[in-house]
Amino acid sequence: MIAKEFEYRRPTTLAEATQTLAEHPGLAMILAGGTDLVAWLRDDVIAPDLVVDIKDIPDLSEIKVVDDELHIGSLVTFTDLIESETIHEHVPLLAEMSETVASPGIRNRATMVGNICSAVPSCDAGPVLLVYDTTVHLTGPNGDRSVDINDWFTGLRETALTDDEVVTHLTLKLRKHGGVYVKLMRYAGEDLAQAAVGIAAYPDNEYRVAFGAVAPTPIRSARIENTLHGNELDDDLVARTVAMVPDEISPITDMRATAAYRTHMTAVMLKRGLWAARQRLDGTGPAYGARLV
Amino acid sequence: MNLELKVNGEQWVLDVAAADVLLDVLREQVGTKSPKVGCERGDCGSCTILMDGRSVRSCLVLAVEAEGHDIVTVEGISYEGMSQLQDLFISNNSFQCGFCAPGIVLSATELLELNPNPSRHDVQEALAGNLCRCTGYEPIIDAVLAAGQGQGETP
Amino acid sequence: MTTTFPFEADAKEDELKAVGTDAVRIDGLDKISGAAEFVDDIDFGPGLLHAAIVESPHAFARIVSIDTTEAARAKGVVRVVTGKDFPYKFGMYMEDRYIFAQDHVRFVGEQVAGVIARSHREAVQAAKLVEVEYEVLNPILDPKQAFEEDADLIHPELADYTHVPWFFPKADTNIAHWRKIRKGDTEKAFAEADYVLEDTYFVPRYAHCAIEPHVTVSKLDQADRLTVWTASQSPHTQRHLFAQALEPLGFTHKDVRVITPYIGGGFGGKAGVSMEILGAAMATLVKGRPLKLRWTREQEFYNTYQRQGVTAELKVGVMDDGTITAVEHKLYWDAGAYVEYGANVVNAAGLSATGPYRVPNISNDSLCMYTNLPPGGPYRGFGYSEFHFGLESHMDRIAEAIGMDPVEFRRKNAIVEGDELSYGGHMNPSGMIEAIDKVADAIEWGVEEQSDNPNTVMGKGIALFWKAPAMPPNASSASFLKFNEDGSINITVSGMELGQGYLTVMAQIASEILTVPVEKIRVETPDTDRNPYEWQTVASHVTWSSGLAVEKAAVEARAKIFDVIHQVYGYEDDSLYLENEKVKCKTDPVFEKPLSDFVIDGIQTDEGTWRGGPIIASGKFMPEFTNALSDPETGQGGHPNVHYTVGATGVVVEIDKDTGRIWVRKAALAVDAGKAINPDLVKGQIVGGLVQGLATVLYEDMRFDEAGKMMNPNFTDYKIPTAFDIPDEVVPIIVEVPQPDGPFGARGVGEHTMIAAAPVIANAVYDALGVRIKSMPVTQEKVAMAYLEKSTS
Repeated sequence: MIAKEFEYRRPTTLAEATQTLAEHPGLAMILAGGTDLVAWLRDDVIAPDLVVDIKDIPDLSEIKVVDDELHIGSLVTFTDLIESETIHEHVPLLAEMSETVASPGIRNRATMVGNICSAVPSCDAGPVLLVYDTTVHLTGPNGDRSVDINDWFTGLRETALTDDEVVTHLTLKLRKHGGVYVKLMRYAGEDLAQAAVGIAAYPDNEYRVAFGAVAPTPIRSARIENTLHGNELDDDLVARTVAMVPDEISPITDMRATAAYRTHMTAVMLKRGLWAARQRLDGTGPAYGARLV
Repeated sequence: MNLELKVNGEQWVLDVAAADVLLDVLREQVGTKSPKVGCERGDCGSCTILMDGRSVRSCLVLAVEAEGHDIVTVEGISYEGMSQLQDLFISNNSFQCGFCAPGIVLSATELLELNPNPSRHDVQEALAGNLCRCTGYEPIIDAVLAAGQGQGETP
Repeated sequence: MTTTFPFEADAKEDELKAVGTDAVRIDGLDKISGAAEFVDDIDFGPGLLHAAIVESPHAFARIVSIDTTEAARAKGVVRVVTGKDFPYKFGMYMEDRYIFAQDHVRFVGEQVAGVIARSHREAVQAAKLVEVEYEVLNPILDPKQAFEEDADLIHPELADYTHVPWFFPKADTNIAHWRKIRKGDTEKAFAEADYVLEDTYFVPRYAHCAIEPHVTVSKLDQADRLTVWTASQSPHTQRHLFAQALEPLGFTHKDVRVITPYIGGGFGGKAGVSMEILGAAMATLVKGRPLKLRWTREQEFYNTYQRQGVTAELKVGVMDDGTITAVEHKLYWDAGAYVEYGANVVNAAGLSATGPYRVPNISNDSLCMYTNLPPGGPYRGFGYSEFHFGLESHMDRIAEAIGMDPVEFRRKNAIVEGDELSYGGHMNPSGMIEAIDKVADAIEWGVEEQSDNPNTVMGKGIALFWKAPAMPPNASSASFLKFNEDGSINITVSGMELGQGYLTVMAQIASEILTVPVEKIRVETPDTDRNPYEWQTVASHVTWSSGLAVEKAAVEARAKIFDVIHQVYGYEDDSLYLENEKVKCKTDPVFEKPLSDFVIDGIQTDEGTWRGGPIIASGKFMPEFTNALSDPETGQGGHPNVHYTVGATGVVVEIDKDTGRIWVRKAALAVDAGKAINPDLVKGQIVGGLVQGLATVLYEDMRFDEAGKMMNPNFTDYKIPTAFDIPDEVVPIIVEVPQPDGPFGARGVGEHTMIAAAPVIANAVYDALGVRIKSMPVTQEKVAMAYLEKSTS
């Protein structure tokens, strides 16, 4: 039961949606899958006057490849990603990540764009989108704009999205790569990431490395990426990058895990993940979906 | 607000508040009691329903979002006798207190629709969002696996 | 060996038709079709009112003032209540609790006021408008701190509280009950022992997490009858406590009716009375209107009974040959703000804290400490799960220290029939040795397993368990049985179908005696107006106790059936027997009379008149050999426990050395059911209980902040097992050494299956990695960090 009452609108165009948002600055919230929003309404941690449901706006549910870019609409759910042949063919890591999100009943509603808009430190999509050339496309009363994923997460539960904007879709540049998402959970069932590592290995020993749940936002580590860059992966190189982990992250101790364990596990996951990503680039290594921890 | 939706094949026109969640409206206005109130924040799965054939947490859906959608609960699949899956739940004693059972039956029903011959891992994945505190899941997994084999497709 | 049974001289073990079979549950169609009705599913019409509770944000505070003006004026509000409306105490074993807080609050979440409104939303919104001013006091959150001599008193009036005679509260302390056992001479035994091990183990609080939250609907009608529909394990106990607590308002037992339909899991959490009394009391102020109070999942965590935490100081002495000579066990229980039920957990643990071992010299102290955390209470295992963690960890460590195999060490010391118990009685027949051997065999004890994954290592563990029902000495059960025209049967009892399969087992017992098939027997859920008395569905006692009551009712019905036949046809009663729903006669092989011919309408005689009439019967059982009278200083002299159920658990685990992740590859659990009335249901208890127990050791625990507020009152952060979090394989093993006074030899198994889950994992972790975790839970984090420290030091 949600105690506080609010208004509900279901616009059918983006223009109507952004106008509605603009008319209620700071008082309206966007509803897509609702798996965060409705839970937060019920928990009484948010209290909007207006909820703007964007599910009747056409064309936001597409997954398609346009030239060398993958396009993912803002209403694409985690289940859509798991069941999409396009995703499995081009960026199977998105399916691997999606399978770690909650459970089918949630994934059937929850959207990946919603995940990065909620922007909790443990958001699963964050560390994965960060290892690609990802662009977030938005529209607002003043027209469209795009934000590089590296500029998207601006703080704890904060993003570059302004009050009157709606995310329309994401684009990812398609390049040959091997990807890995390693997620620390407290048990095998559904759980929030206690720490997470996203890695993409590109040809010519180029790597992208991102971490989740070990800082206020998902983060990339330029230092680790630079150390790896141009060098063939070997035990020594892995050991050197793993040794950098404590300086690259700022985990907290909370009831879910201690900072010490998060740090230890981030190192373990980086070590295992680097090898798996490198092997996947070569078409070997564990199948996508295999759990490394 | 006015809300039109289909529940177990029957068309309903209801008057709801924007803040009403679908679970409460199904239970209190439609009288469909098999989706249960367990946690009200999407963790336990006892409010699971099928919405256009897919399992959904009815506690995390505003009733107004269900406008024009097709909702199915366990009552809806039981009108004309038990499904093969339900029969197996009964004959295998695949439940104890029964509170989570409607949600579990629906999650398993969705799985078997999508994948008529699931592996043990597939079954665990499909049920991972439906908490059962009594059975330890073993007899439930057995029943779903048996229902899968009953449909005869080779993996 | 052929076992015979006290009420069924004809029945032979190898001739049983219903008892001992995997009968399909009689509640299956209800529960799988969606038909099963739980309290929250019952419709009460447009007059239904809703309640919301105002709760204390402080763990310990004095209430300075409560202002309900704004709330009373809010939209939809019918009434606002506070402690002033109900200055009445209640409690199951000790009356230390008020319906609503009076002058003090003693835990975060304690009920301070209640709002009754026309809708749930209006009630919740108005509850936020109640203004309470508190003078905040320093909370005590640790039982050892509560034990300190100069500790602040949580209940200064403890000396005045009414309690059962077997509790020993200490006035002007925080000790609500102190169960002592003193036997032999521990000091001398420790001095003479070849090896003594002393250590402390820590067990946090746990939550039951039945998926159905507590819910109650109460209605005082215009004729002054109070009916309460509750999700409860204890309908008659609730009626009794409601009638007692509300006696100042003029209620008597006959005015109070408790109806309990199916309930969505209990595990002890729905035993006794907790939130239900709020609904019952508030309903008295809105006569004629049903009032619903349903706990949120959060309230389910912080304002129902919790499994108590315990700090266990354990000292055990042994001889070089492995003989245990002395046990000293000090249990400091974090019993919470009110111990009205939880103090009996403390008592039960104190009586049995040696574990299932033969120990000549014993000193047990089980201390029920008030703290400013939520009230402790019963949870599957009732104190035994808690103390077995340290005890069975300790036994492994001792075996290793003296160079003995842990299985051999346990076999040598395991308590067997006739051994003296800590309070002076004697151990009942038990299959402990068989259980140990079968479990060891199932996990291939002694055979070292190698992992083919370089990151992981394998380990094995074993642990024993025992438990007796913890009941008042005169806890009783009763049953009514009636035939219908077609020879089918309705049985009414007041045990609860918690999910364990109780209704089916009762039907099987009646079926065995009356030869009516299980599917032709309906067993009804309780309504205290109509169903006969049952103390409570707790303590793993209903198969045994209620089973005996049903067996007696069936035997009485059979006698009445034979009596009708005798009256009409003249056959002697002892020549008659039942077979396939017919009466037959040993002396006249041609005679047969189907039950459906006469169990309602009787039999017409040659003269045209009729004999017989509806066959109805009743049965009751009360253990008449128990007493709770013992010396407070030694615990000797009474006979508090009816019998113990025993068994053993073993696991094979695989552990990732880097992450600490533990996979239970195989688990075997043997329990001595005496006689498994329905083996499939016993296996259900084994698998379900084991998984629940494994969760308490692998990841569950309640976390409180420094102010005593629970930090994880939801399934996002209090993790309970999903379909992924189960052992790869469970080997359920049923041992059957009959309980002489049980129905067909049966004894209870419901709680026992989770008791040894915690130490068996701790022992397997040690076996795999050489690290000993002495505080629960044994999380992957603790294992990884301990192993990291061990391997880097």
